[in-house]
Amino acid sequence: MNDHPVTLHVYDDLRRSRLTLFFRPLLCFPHFFWLYLWSIAVSFVLIPSYLVAFIVGRPAYSFQRFFCAYLRYITTVLAYLLIVANPFPGFLGERGKYPVELELPAEAEKQHRLSILLRIPLAIPAYMVAVIGIYAAVYPAALFAWVVALIMGRMPRGFRDLGANALRYLGQFLAYLFLVTGTYPCASPYVGISLGSAVVTDLKVEA
Amino acid sequence: MTKSTRRLIGVLVFVAAAAFWLWAANALWKTSVPDDLKLPHVDMSSLLGASELHRAQHFSLILDLFGLLGLLLPLVVLALYAKWGHRLMSESAAGPIGTGMLLAMLGLALVWLATLPGNIGALWWLRRYGIEKVGYAEMVFGSWQALGFEFLSICLMILIVMGFARIMGNYWWLAGAPVFVGISLLFTFIQPYGAGLKPIEGHARLVQAEKRLAKTENVGNVPIKVENVSSQTTAPNAEAMGLGPSRRIALFDTILDGRFSEPELEFVVAHELAHHKHHDLWKGLGWFALFSFPIAYLIALATRRRGGMATPLAVPLFLFLWVALPIVTLPLDNAFSRRLEAEADWEALQVTHDPNGGKQLFLNFVRTVDENPNPPFWDPILFGSHPTEAQRIGMIEAWQQRNGG
Repeated sequence: MNDHPVTLHVYDDLRRSRLTLFFRPLLCFPHFFWLYLWSIAVSFVLIPSYLVAFIVGRPAYSFQRFFCAYLRYITTVLAYLLIVANPFPGFLGERGKYPVELELPAEAEKQHRLSILLRIPLAIPAYMVAVIGIYAAVYPAALFAWVVALIMGRMPRGFRDLGANALRYLGQFLAYLFLVTGTYPCASPYVGISLGSAVVTDLKVEA
Repeated sequence: MTKSTRRLIGVLVFVAAAAFWLWAANALWKTSVPDDLKLPHVDMSSLLGASELHRAQHFSLILDLFGLLGLLLPLVVLALYAKWGHRLMSESAAGPIGTGMLLAMLGLALVWLATLPGNIGALWWLRRYGIEKVGYAEMVFGSWQALGFEFLSICLMILIVMGFARIMGNYWWLAGAPVFVGISLLFTFIQPYGAGLKPIEGHARLVQAEKRLAKTENVGNVPIKVENVSSQTTAPNAEAMGLGPSRRIALFDTILDGRFSEPELEFVVAHELAHHKHHDLWKGLGWFALFSFPIAYLIALATRRRGGMATPLAVPLFLFLWVALPIVTLPLDNAFSRRLEAEADWEALQVTHDPNGGKQLFLNFVRTVDENPNPPFWDPILFGSHPTEAQRIGMIEAWQQRNGG
């Protein structure tokens, strides 16, 4: 099964600019600042969004759109930081503008009210997997990949795919937390990911 | 409206703006130092000794050469970047403004790389003379955080310039320059709150003297604070900071470490209070405003050939001009700054009536930082924000002559 309402699409070609790569963490500074401001707005919107979803049984469309843009944006920023993609990302979380993109449900899904009520405690195991299981490995790997990519001018495919999978899981986790989807994040590296680049087609994606 | 009428209006506006500019520059240029004050020649070798003077001259010359390298190399790099930098546009998937931000950040990154040889050389020289304590790795990698904030600042600047250019076209500078002045004003106001200043302890006599001097100079309540820098440098310094309620006098802890006597420290405090009395920080902002408009206008004019500041294509040229044009005005900026510093020295003499304290202070500055008291003519033009120590001692002697000392 490769079905998950939250899917990461990767069209990256593994080429990396040494100049932008060398200063990559610093180039992310304006994005971090913007992300910080956006995250403050998200924290304000989260409670009304939960309330509306609990009353109506599905998230409001405006909240859904807001969270989707935020999730797309955070994915592109992290893709840039973790060297999963090469180009400098935009600031608006628009669709179809970046080689690493999180596909999210266009329409708000109907969700069980009990699941909405218990969403935060339900998300804790996924959070543990995201933090301990994936990011504890991905950040050191990204540092190593940074050195290798600086020398080679291209990103080793395995490291790129590891980073892409971490982003996929984070996207699924946050989408679940923000009620964008009611489907629980899947830890399998073959679910909810589409690696479209010719260079990485030999990574088996199970149907 | 005919073309000739429009041209006439344009000329009249330009003449009026130029007249206002000259009037404002003249008003800022004036100080309370008597115009007819003639500084006597000061024989520094008789005050310091020939070997100490030679050491200071040697030290300053090499440091200046590293300074020149740090000034010229980034300019060359930015000139090359202005020509070729637009090729890096392909590294961006952001929109026009986001791409402009990337190009500006990469330009700054190259400037940072270009300043490294000069900075490392200067650090080596300062460490050799026991003035700097910072290690090389700390200097290179410790500056990354500051560079990150510079990246953030340049992104804000590009957002302002490109945002206005997309609305106002080539007239963006009319709105952009006041915004930059406003941002400078804000930073001048908040600087004391972010400088990590600590209350002064163990200098009760100096605090009492500051209160007395503040009363004499009629500057109101200006707290005296300490800036801890002794882990990085041995160089003594002091600074007047802030505007209105944020006004402070910041003394480096290196000036309070026992090398300077109480009369010398009182002279320092009187000098910094004089900056607040004469509203020198406001004057500095006014001076910045005076130059911001023509510089922004010239940049707008020059970047038209690249499609104007609405397109990221013009950003590398913008960056080059933004750095190069202030270097062109640097001699005038330094001359302005030296006038304000001279006025503060004069005021300090007027309120302390202690020429010996002032003289010992300036000699002590030469001894502690090995600064050449009589630098070559080009040094003050490029680097001299303060009068030379020989000029400062000369002013003290001129004051003594006038006041029968």
